[in-house]
Amino acid sequence: MEPDAQLVQGCLRGEGPAWEELVRRHTRRVFNLCYRFTGNSTEAEDLSQEVFLRIYRTLASYRPAFGAFPTWLTSVTRNLLVDHYRRTRRDRLTDSIEDAMPKLENKQSAARTPDKLALASELSAQLQQGLGRLSPELREAVILRDLQGLDYSEIQSVLEVPEGTVKSRINRGRIELARILEEMGLRPQN
Amino acid sequence: MTDWNCARTEERLSEYLDGILSPAEAAAFSAHSSSCDACGKLVAQVGALVHHMRALDALETPPQLIPKILESTLGPRTQSAGWQRWFAWVPQLWQPRFAMGVITVAATILIALYTTGISPTKLKKADLSPTNVFRTANRQVHLTYARSAKFVNDLRVVYEIQTRLQPDAEPSPSITPAPAPQQNTQPPAVNPQEKSQTSPHPGHSQSRNGTMLASLLSGNWTGNFGAVVICNIPRSPQ
Ligand SMILES: [Zn+2]
Repeated sequence: MEPDAQLVQGCLRGEGPAWEELVRRHTRRVFNLCYRFTGNSTEAEDLSQEVFLRIYRTLASYRPAFGAFPTWLTSVTRNLLVDHYRRTRRDRLTDSIEDAMPKLENKQSAARTPDKLALASELSAQLQQGLGRLSPELREAVILRDLQGLDYSEIQSVLEVPEGTVKSRINRGRIELARILEEMGLRPQN
Repeated sequence: MTDWNCARTEERLSEYLDGILSPAEAAAFSAHSSSCDACGKLVAQVGALVHHMRALDALETPPQLIPKILESTLGPRTQSAGWQRWFAWVPQLWQPRFAMGVITVAATILIALYTTGISPTKLKKADLSPTNVFRTANRQVHLTYARSAKFVNDLRVVYEIQTRLQPDAEPSPSITPAPAPQQNTQPPAVNPQEKSQTSPHPGHSQSRNGTMLASLLSGNWTGNFGAVVICNIPRSPQ
């Protein structure tokens, strides 16, 4: 298997197969990140497409020295997710002033129809519901750490926040998620 | 680390679970959480959650996603190039089951037109207006339906005869969207009888339905299908 950096070089030389391989290799990760953040597979698909379109257009600006390709890819994805979150939140606020209250998150996830993908696993679905009730800052930290398996320094470079902030968000996110799941009547046992 | 308390346990919990506390800190953490019920419960609870999340399989990529991404970035280059991709479904048309479907669709159109009792040679421009087409069609729906069953049966018989006469008829490899019945020169074509009926004015003769059918069966249906539709637009009965 060619390393990502070589595939990127191939892409920059205009090699279609190199790009195709890069897409095949990373789509699942990007889709999962988008899905876990939005809780909606249609949105996640659209966002994944947007991510790769952006990657495709800005590939020349990627330097392996700045970090591994997956980390860069995750940064791009995360930035699009944040943009998307702000955009959709503004839409929601225009719809109703009431929704501007902090409980917005809960209402949103409760209103969503159950998703086929998530229903494949009950735990996965409940976890998804719990994630939807976390604030976006805590949600993304938990997803990156525990579902995407990034380490603290990688998360730090994706979120572009100090190390202490990363640690605190991961920690608060996990504790809050555990409490939410307990409220929902789900208590994971070791 | 004697001042280790509940607040600190909660604050450093994830670092403990992720194994990034210093040995001294980790020891103080363990000492407190094993002697404090509240903290012990919290550590167990969050530890179990992390464990479960780590064990969770990543969701499968939806099958259409990668093709969509490649399409939006590389464009049609990724598939067989350009226009060919748009006609990729064409070879499937020649499977017997689909051919039968085509016959049935063609038959339905022909029936609808036939029941209007229209002579296509007297087609007027006004007949092409959607209002007129709709009005005529709407009026004829009930009548059409009543006649359909028998007609389809008749056409099936024709189809079967055609099939037996031309068991090896090959589809035309060329895709010609422009309706031009004269192009029906691909060997092997229809049998001589049918061929002679494939006049430059399809629909002109009384046996136009049979001719259309024969043309459809002969493999050059793309062109003739257009011809069927064009020359059989119902005129307004007024
Ligand atoms: Zn305690």
